[in-house]
Amino acid sequence: MLACRLIQKDLSSYLDGELPAARAARLEAHLRTCQRCREEMAALEGISDQIRAASRHLQVSRDFDQRVLRAVGYYQVTRAERRRKPLTKPLVVIALILLALLGMIRHFFSRTLALPVRSPAAAVSGLAPAASGAAMPDRDRSQR
Amino acid sequence: MEEALRPRLVSAEKPGDGQALAAASDAELTEACRRGSQAAFRELLSRYRKPALALAYQMLGDAEDAEDAAQEAFVRVFQAIPQFRGQAAFSTWLYRIVTNTCLGRLRRKREKVSLERVSEPRSADSPSQQVTDALMTRQVLSMMSPTLQTVLLLRVEGGLSYREIAETLGLPMGTVRSRLSKARTAFRKLWLELSEMGDG
Ligand SMILES: [Zn+2]
Repeated sequence: MLACRLIQKDLSSYLDGELPAARAARLEAHLRTCQRCREEMAALEGISDQIRAASRHLQVSRDFDQRVLRAVGYYQVTRAERRRKPLTKPLVVIALILLALLGMIRHFFSRTLALPVRSPAAAVSGLAPAASGAAMPDRDRSQR
Repeated sequence: MEEALRPRLVSAEKPGDGQALAAASDAELTEACRRGSQAAFRELLSRYRKPALALAYQMLGDAEDAEDAAQEAFVRVFQAIPQFRGQAAFSTWLYRIVTNTCLGRLRRKREKVSLERVSEPRSADSPSQQVTDALMTRQVLSMMSPTLQTVLLLRVEGGLSYREIAETLGLPMGTVRSRLSKARTAFRKLWLELSEMGDG
């Protein structure tokens, strides 16, 4: 019993390969004869794997390095990082610029074409847009 | 040998030509870092971001906090590198900084990682055994005393030797040995207790 308790104190170091050779030999001799201590060792042995498994799913975020480098004043986008950047951002920016341009064009035409639109003939034929400029581009095209 | 490596490392500033960097030892990289090589620092970052993050995560129990802590630790490493004379291995030194950063954050937050918080997803919809085990492991670690938790994580997650742990924490080797033994016993006891709670 006392022997078991002493042995069990050494199990952790033994598993880590940090037990002095003489004590390791004594421990191994005891394990050969003691079922209980063998079970104890098996139980402790699994702990390391268990702990490592708990962090295995962790993913380093994509901008980890960039954030560190920025903080230390080393920030510089490398070619590789530029390539890794998703395409969505520039696409969204381009789309927004196009939309803004379209809006400006519409605005421009809605002013210059204000008169013909309001003409009674157009209103009767149902071509006049209901205040909103949504139908204007179609109308422009049809007039061309 | 060292001399031959110097110009190569310093000139390897383009991220593309990392061959010399990849082959360099940690000691060579820290030395290059001290002389201002940005590429050397990037290489150290890429070598150690994952283990540093894992250690921080295990200590803090939250992936986002862990990211912040690991990044903070790397910034501290960068700032302290002029004083680093290679007394210890770079990894030991880094893990010490990560550990201190995390302990500081924990102290500031003193946030009780409560049962509900960690076991929440368990009740949501029965996750795989793997996920349940991982959550329970996190739970057990958070219930351990910080002194026991730290030695255990430095050993298991950081892979440090007893001597390195002793250096990292400024403890005698004998204390590291006995704390690790206690830590494993405590882990096992808490694990069994939680398992019984889950079953009952
Ligand atoms: Zn025994």
